Amino acid sequence: MVFQPTMTAAFLISVALLTQASPTAVEPAGILITRQLAESRGLTVGSVVKLATDPAGAHARLFRVDGIYEPTPDPMHFAQPQLDARMHLPDLLALEAGMPDERDRRGVTSINVALSDRDAERFALDVAARVPGLVGRATSAPDDRTNTFIVVERFHLAIAIVTVVGSAVFLLALMVMLVDERRSTVGILRLIGFTRRRILLQVFIEGAVIALAGAAAGILFALASQRLFNGFFQWRYDTTLVFLRITPSVVWRSLAMAVPFGIAASLVASWTFLRQQLLALIRR
Amino acid sequence: MRALRLAWLTVVRQPARSCLGILGVAAVGALLFDMLLLSRGLILSFRDLLDRAGFDVRVVASDTLPFNGPRLEDATALARLIASLPEVEAVQQVRVADAETASGDFRRRIEFVGADPQARPMWTIVAGQDIAGRGEAALVINRHLAETLRLSPGSSMSLTGRCGEAQGAPPLAFTVAGIAEFPFDTATADTVAGALSAAGRLCGRTTEDTADLLVVRSRPDAGADAAAAAIRRARRDVHVVTSDDLVQQFNRTQFSYFRQISVVLATVTLFFGFLLIAVLLTVSVNQHLGEIATLRAIGLTRRRVVSGIVWESAMLVGAGGILALPLGTALSVWLDRILRSMPGVPTDLHFFVFEPRALVIHALLLAMAAIAAAAYPVRIVAALPIAATLRREAVS
Repeated sequence: MVFQPTMTAAFLISVALLTQASPTAVEPAGILITRQLAESRGLTVGSVVKLATDPAGAHARLFRVDGIYEPTPDPMHFAQPQLDARMHLPDLLALEAGMPDERDRRGVTSINVALSDRDAERFALDVAARVPGLVGRATSAPDDRTNTFIVVERFHLAIAIVTVVGSAVFLLALMVMLVDERRSTVGILRLIGFTRRRILLQVFIEGAVIALAGAAAGILFALASQRLFNGFFQWRYDTTLVFLRITPSVVWRSLAMAVPFGIAASLVASWTFLRQQLLALIRR
Repeated sequence: MRALRLAWLTVVRQPARSCLGILGVAAVGALLFDMLLLSRGLILSFRDLLDRAGFDVRVVASDTLPFNGPRLEDATALARLIASLPEVEAVQQVRVADAETASGDFRRRIEFVGADPQARPMWTIVAGQDIAGRGEAALVINRHLAETLRLSPGSSMSLTGRCGEAQGAPPLAFTVAGIAEFPFDTATADTVAGALSAAGRLCGRTTEDTADLLVVRSRPDAGADAAAAAIRRARRDVHVVTSDDLVQQFNRTQFSYFRQISVVLATVTLFFGFLLIAVLLTVSVNQHLGEIATLRAIGLTRRRVVSGIVWESAMLVGAGGILALPLGTALSVWLDRILRSMPGVPTDLHFFVFEPRALVIHALLLAMAAIAAAAYPVRIVAALPIAATLRREAVS
């Protein structure tokens, strides 16, 4: 459950100014910093740093790094390095004290609430009714931010459709050539009594076997390359996000598209020959 | 020329196969062309949006993106100092405030852009007049807000600042002077622009002298880099970025995913195109080994026959590549529309943008694919044993 007052502030802040400082007699407050921040500034557990919300370093306070954590990857901001620090709310409010800007006024962005009865929707309605101006929202509620990923998914689907169309044309061209190569064989089979239906059935089975083998090879290649793909993007963006995942649903969808296409290409290519006169097939 | 004719005859002899090959290359080529447009599309489009504002240097208080960090203090004095630099032609203070309509049951959230009315505006007027010379109560509004609230030049509207603790400042009455296009507006954004002082008055702050950023236009003979350097020398405590810096910054962070995905897809697409042509040519050559051996036997040189294969590859790829351009353009419009439906994307930002460079790279990559695809069939033809092949043909 996330409870959102209208006043602004932040519990998780991006560091405006960060410098390593020498320890002083006053015991600095403890903070946690992200692995990325630690690596970029060469900080370790126990380092004492100076933080300020003012770019000139006014009202800076000392903090001690008590721990380094791997941030939960945020797909919305994966392209930006997560240089974040977590601190106790009183420390943050003290850090922000004296800020002249209304955007940095005392207050919190959200309050997380754990409910005993788990009826988050009812609690949200209750909050809205009792305190006008506050917005309560269940953490399981649909997030508008997911729209971005729906669009990206639609984009990738469009690319997949174009690729499938290209592949289908490729397959058809290949099958036309292969069947052409077998023109005389088909003619001889017809001469010794094989019916068109029987030959077409053979072609159907052959097309199905080739399509299944091709689809299986494609899926195996995708499974083998997904680690490479993820590895590259995880390295590039320094994140633990998974960019590509071959799920059973993806496998079934690929098979559902590839196998019928393969069989159809075989049948279409063969039928153009089978409907010809027997003498034309054996070039007589 | 005989090799070219030989290739042409081979292509037209099997029209179905050739047409399918060309169509396959066209589909692959269209996708490749689109990936080339995508690889730099956002950068070009973003650059165009920045340039449209007419300012090439931005001064902010910290190294965060504009409107995300602290404000510049003593903005008027800072603007005067920057304006006095010989490398600078014009300076404009910009302050953005959150506001909402003060009348009606449903209060719309509105972004109020405060700027100096006398300076060159960062927006383009599409109807009515600009705010210059019309006092603090004049506003220009974007088309979306005008259509939603049915406002036109001359209409009145009241706005209240959304100012956190200071909420409760009285609503301000404004008059719509004109309707404008703002370069970074999203499709659903409600944006208005008015006097800088009005942005402060929305929250009851009449004496505050702050700005979110200063936009600076450099003198044409000095350039943006020289102006930025001069500002840095004059004031070391502010952060100065040129339009080029911003583009580079976005290129490294926000836009990099689409650039990388376009490289991956372009590589896969190119490999697929190479495979398509290589397989078609190889199967074609294997089917006509007897004919090729006969041609060699009656006197055609190896070079001429090999040239015929290369020309055949070039014809298939060339025709497919040319067909790929209109196909790719149509496809890019569709894909661009899909991506632009992402929330928060400015209306005028495009993911797929044409530039002549993309056309040249497209042609080069396809030419490379054509040559590489012809390599294996050429090897078969070059190493073909004439007598043995003819004998095998005769026996079969």
